[in-house]
Amino acid sequence: MSINHNRARPVYINLLQIKLPISAISSITHRLAGIYIFFVTLPLSLFLLYFSTKSYNDFMFISALLKDSILFSTFVSFSFLVFAYHILTGVRHLLQDMHIGESLEASRVSSYIVFFLWSVLVAAVIWRILL
Amino acid sequence: MIGSTLFYAQRLSAIFLLGYTVWLSSFFLFNQPLEFDAWSVFTDQIIFLIITSLVSLIIVIHSFIGLWTIGTDYFTSRTLGFVSPAIGKYANIIRGAYSLLFVFWGCVVISILLFTIWS
Repeated sequence: MSINHNRARPVYINLLQIKLPISAISSITHRLAGIYIFFVTLPLSLFLLYFSTKSYNDFMFISALLKDSILFSTFVSFSFLVFAYHILTGVRHLLQDMHIGESLEASRVSSYIVFFLWSVLVAAVIWRILL
Repeated sequence: MIGSTLFYAQRLSAIFLLGYTVWLSSFFLFNQPLEFDAWSVFTDQIIFLIITSLVSLIIVIHSFIGLWTIGTDYFTSRTLGFVSPAIGKYANIIRGAYSLLFVFWGCVVISILLFTIWS
């Protein structure tokens, strides 16, 4: 066998150079969303839970903040939309773990379905904020 | 611990958390606009306290397994070495620090959650 060992062979993995199929994008964004939820959405919902149950005045303060501050309401909406995305892609993964929609074609189609459903949610939330 | 245990722990906890999310979401959906009285009655229920406490434990299981697999997949000498071979050499230390960070963060968040609902 004659293999050219002198050719520069890749040692490291350039994650940005690999062209990912749609199902892999769905999978990696599920993980990124998971990190975001753990470090942002979870403490944020804790903050909301703490102040919304503390007293009536604190509850009104939080609702006023959500109504008046476009920055805060966008941040809260975005954080929960990321959570919704993690759930949608997560349900897709759970179905695949139960051997439902495992084929290449089915997983491609289900990725698009998940993106579509999430877009509908995003549109609904944007519509509600602007209304 | 064998891999399949972690695999099933991850999936079963996911189903439990999904159910909890549906439960909370349906409360918000049927109580629009949300009033303080309805919300405080809901969060003072013993069933809410018990299930949320259980959820805090399950969040720990679900997130630690997930974050650990992300660490072992992406914080290795091969992937970090792409950024710079010098950084790649310290991949194990970086992954260790990352693991310590999320374990610490998880413990803090869950303690505050338990304190919040039970106080």
